[in-house]
Amino acid sequence: MLEIKNLHASIGNTKILKGLDLTVNSGEVHAIMGPNGSGKSTLASVIAGREDYDVTDGEINFQGNELSDIGPDERAREGIFLAFQYPVEIPGVSTTNFMKTAVNQIRESKGEKPLDAVEFLKLMKEKMKLVNIKQELLSRSINEGFSGGEKKRNEIFQMAMLDPKLSILDETDSGLDIDALKIVSNGVNALKSKENATVVVTHYQRLLDYIVPDFVHVLMDGKIVKSGDKNLALELEEKGYDWIKVKN
Amino acid sequence: MIDTVDLKKSISIEEDNIIKEIKSESLDKIKLSYKKYKEEYKYTPLLRNIEKKYGSFNSSENIKKADSYKDLISTKDKHYIVILNGSYIENISNIPNSIDIKNIKDLSKNEQNIFIDSYSKIDDSTDDIFSSINTILHSNCLTFKINKSTILKEKISIINIVDSSKPTYFRKCFIIDKNSEISFSEEFINVTRDGNFSNSVTEIYMDENAVFNYFSTQNISKNYHFNSINVFQKRNSTSNFHTYSFSGSIIRNNLNIKLLDKSCYANMYGFYAIKNSSHIDNHTSVDHIDENSISNEHYKGIVDDGSIGVFNGKIFVRQRAQKTNAFQSNNNILLSDNAKVNTKPQLEIWADDVKCSHGCTVGQLDDDALFYLMSRGISRKDAISLLLSAFSTDITEKIADKVIREEYQLMILKELEDLNYE
Repeated sequence: MLEIKNLHASIGNTKILKGLDLTVNSGEVHAIMGPNGSGKSTLASVIAGREDYDVTDGEINFQGNELSDIGPDERAREGIFLAFQYPVEIPGVSTTNFMKTAVNQIRESKGEKPLDAVEFLKLMKEKMKLVNIKQELLSRSINEGFSGGEKKRNEIFQMAMLDPKLSILDETDSGLDIDALKIVSNGVNALKSKENATVVVTHYQRLLDYIVPDFVHVLMDGKIVKSGDKNLALELEEKGYDWIKVKN
Repeated sequence: MIDTVDLKKSISIEEDNIIKEIKSESLDKIKLSYKKYKEEYKYTPLLRNIEKKYGSFNSSENIKKADSYKDLISTKDKHYIVILNGSYIENISNIPNSIDIKNIKDLSKNEQNIFIDSYSKIDDSTDDIFSSINTILHSNCLTFKINKSTILKEKISIINIVDSSKPTYFRKCFIIDKNSEISFSEEFINVTRDGNFSNSVTEIYMDENAVFNYFSTQNISKNYHFNSINVFQKRNSTSNFHTYSFSGSIIRNNLNIKLLDKSCYANMYGFYAIKNSSHIDNHTSVDHIDENSISNEHYKGIVDDGSIGVFNGKIFVRQRAQKTNAFQSNNNILLSDNAKVNTKPQLEIWADDVKCSHGCTVGQLDDDALFYLMSRGISRKDAISLLLSAFSTDITEKIADKVIREEYQLMILKELEDLNYE
């Protein structure tokens, strides 16, 4: 599904990703772990198509298409979803209106008929249950005045609405208490299928108790330096990232 | 200094003695107004442009038959008032029975006295050069008398038609009696191929408990336009002003509100979305003279291409005006490197027990928000439209009437589609 080869990316003059390789297949859950500043969030943003980053070398293939010339809107229509570490507050645009525009633009790009108001409401009600989010919250301006937990639940709600093939969760556990973490993880797990894939970016093992990965990768200094199964995450938790540094 | 020969000539042919006197007083003040012009029009070189274009401020007479303008009237409002180069065109207007529109010279002596008492107080309060020129050169002062306890829920359109190769003058004077409530929307339409200069001065006198709602739409690409609205409010009266500007060579709006009594309420809201080389200048002032009054002011603008936005908001709180609440803010988004905004809030407070705030911002479209919207599959163009229309909502949502609010929101959406953003 996703194949990243020798990816180099920088912002301004700062090189952040320095030759990263990653392959994700349908039905898999991958965890990307690493210390602060190792490039985890950059990787998530670059896959989603954030234009602030320059891809200086390498390539990202998604379902056989090279993504370098494709904007974030088209990537989303192809099925890539990024759950933001810091969801943006947008005064004056309600989440409902936002999702209606997004869902229908994605449908249109696939040659499907846009949902009418009734169909859209039905879809929304169904997905709201998944993350226990209230309609009142969704009729407010996007994320404005939301608590940390509400923001993250809103991210997973949007993910459910858009039904992506590849979901990238960027530090979705940050700022969550244990109850919110459970709600968010249950939502993510409920959306998992053989046809889609999930990349979880985190620097704590805690989230991986709830969203269990098939593969764990350690990202350091812009490269994946070690890969393994879920036990690698436990080992990291115990020994810290220095353990890998020493070994290398 | 401007040439006063033409102005003097125009006064000399005035037949009505009282009006002649008012015009002469304005002429005496021209020197002072000109002095103030340099400061008050620092970012808006209107005088230079008008002089270059016309050489003189004189207007000309109407030539075409009024009926030929009938097709220009496109309003959803049941009632509308058509004004051509300053003259009221009764036979193509449709006004409700409760309003009487007359030229001030056609009023009976008694009626005239009511208006003369108020008429042209504006020169005392503003010393604005274009207001003075309007006072001297206008030939029709239209009077609107809204009688006691008249409540009209539907708004009335005022359609001002400009059809002249020379400057045109529009002059209106409203008297809103006690306990009345009325709403007007106003626009200017230019039918000449080249631009024009229209100079409009409106005075509004509001008696106790009166409510006055006013909506202005400005979309006059090649025109120079001066629009001065001067409001005098008595106890417990409420005024709501909504000004929407989309294009104009130079548009200068003066909105001056005097809260003469206790417990007055004034709201001034404005939104501008301009492109190409449009130049919009909103100068407002609100003068709190007595206790317990409230004023709210919020102007927002999106400035594209090489266009220029100017905002100047003055708040005066006089010594007697304790317990005043006065709020003001101006926010701008620049969409291009060549776009410019000059914004200046001014507060002068002599009372000690007041709540006042003011602030202004000039920024760009939020890239994080844009990426967030696009990352959900929304095209760049639509994401920008969403953000820009969201920027306008806290202005449009201040329109209390749902039908009118939706009318203006739709108008803004259409205008925003034409902006460019790279």
